[in-house]
Amino acid sequence: MTVGVSISLKIPDNTAYTALVALRRLGVDVDRVERSEILLFDDVDADALLARITADETMFNPNKHRVSVLQSAKPSWGEVWIEPLSNPGRRAVAWRLYNAHGSPVKRPVLEMAVERLLCNPAIERAVTRDLFDGDNRNESE
Amino acid sequence: MSARIAVPVFPGTNSEDETVRLLRDCGGDAELVHWTSAQTLASYDAYVLSGGFAYEDRIRAGAIAAHDRIMDYVIEGAQHGKLVFGICNGAQILLEAGLVPGTGPVRRPTAAFAKNAPEPHFVCRHVYLKLEIEPSRCAITAALPPWALVPAWAAHAEGRLAASPNDLEQIVSGDHLAFVYAHADGRVDDAAVPNGSALRCAGLVNGAGNVLAIMPHPERDGWNFNHLDRCSGDDVLAPSGGAALFRSFLEALS
Repeated sequence: MTVGVSISLKIPDNTAYTALVALRRLGVDVDRVERSEILLFDDVDADALLARITADETMFNPNKHRVSVLQSAKPSWGEVWIEPLSNPGRRAVAWRLYNAHGSPVKRPVLEMAVERLLCNPAIERAVTRDLFDGDNRNESE
Repeated sequence: MSARIAVPVFPGTNSEDETVRLLRDCGGDAELVHWTSAQTLASYDAYVLSGGFAYEDRIRAGAIAAHDRIMDYVIEGAQHGKLVFGICNGAQILLEAGLVPGTGPVRRPTAAFAKNAPEPHFVCRHVYLKLEIEPSRCAITAALPPWALVPAWAAHAEGRLAASPNDLEQIVSGDHLAFVYAHADGRVDDAAVPNGSALRCAGLVNGAGNVLAIMPHPERDGWNFNHLDRCSGDDVLAPSGGAALFRSFLEALS
């Protein structure tokens, strides 16, 4: 079984803020951007993995980062993972975009953000939940 | 009046001074233009995008800068035939902006200078760029001899040309492969390539031949003091080596 780990900043994320400003400039209707690093591992014990990561200061700085094990090794609804084509399925950057009401943006907005800024299709691919579960998403999820 | 060259400075650019200095030492009229003065860029005749880490390479190398207001002027200038020369991070920005290889719409990249391979590490290594196109195919290389060798320093962690097989085929068939990595004697093989770049690519040119993007830094091998074994006395301050490419660029503007 694949275990997914999310590492994000608990201090202000300058990259996410830069993405927010750039996306707005590109006409993407977004109010907040969150970003985290996703690492995927096959056939490991989740607790042991978490202990290993939190002990590795090249990956995890407790003053800056928070780390969690994902409930499932796939993106949440409203989230996109940008994976390098050179090493797919091992690591990704997860982006979550929110509208002014604090809800995840709808799919067309997320697709616009991916196409205009978040993904260079020459070297990356965008992975969303429906690639795993089919496009049967309830927009209120 | 000589052509005016702008060297735009994004937040995070770090090679602007040596770029301007070498352009001036080769006889060019070059100035720095900071991002806060982007609106002045339209009045310049050509642009040289220098190396560094524009916007800290957030998201991807060159991704944010490609959408900066500076690039609005650079893209418009390129579309009107102005010369645009990108070095290292400047080259990454030009690919993210879709200006090179220029096989897709603007700001929809069809290729990238991606993380080095096989190890995704920063590489600092002396290299030679070998001109792979007819010199006249690109205005910026037109004054170089055929198969010219230009010495430079590769200094990057993301310099590997990467694209889909179809886009790589278009790069070859469209004659966009301007420079490849080579040894000092001109031989081209994988050992000369510092970063795993597809097609052994060190530089790309657009279809019109007025936009050139190269990863290595000729301006870091551009004076005699970079070749102390070959000079003495006052000679140390004379342009040489990588300056050949800058001279060719200036020749195209004259």
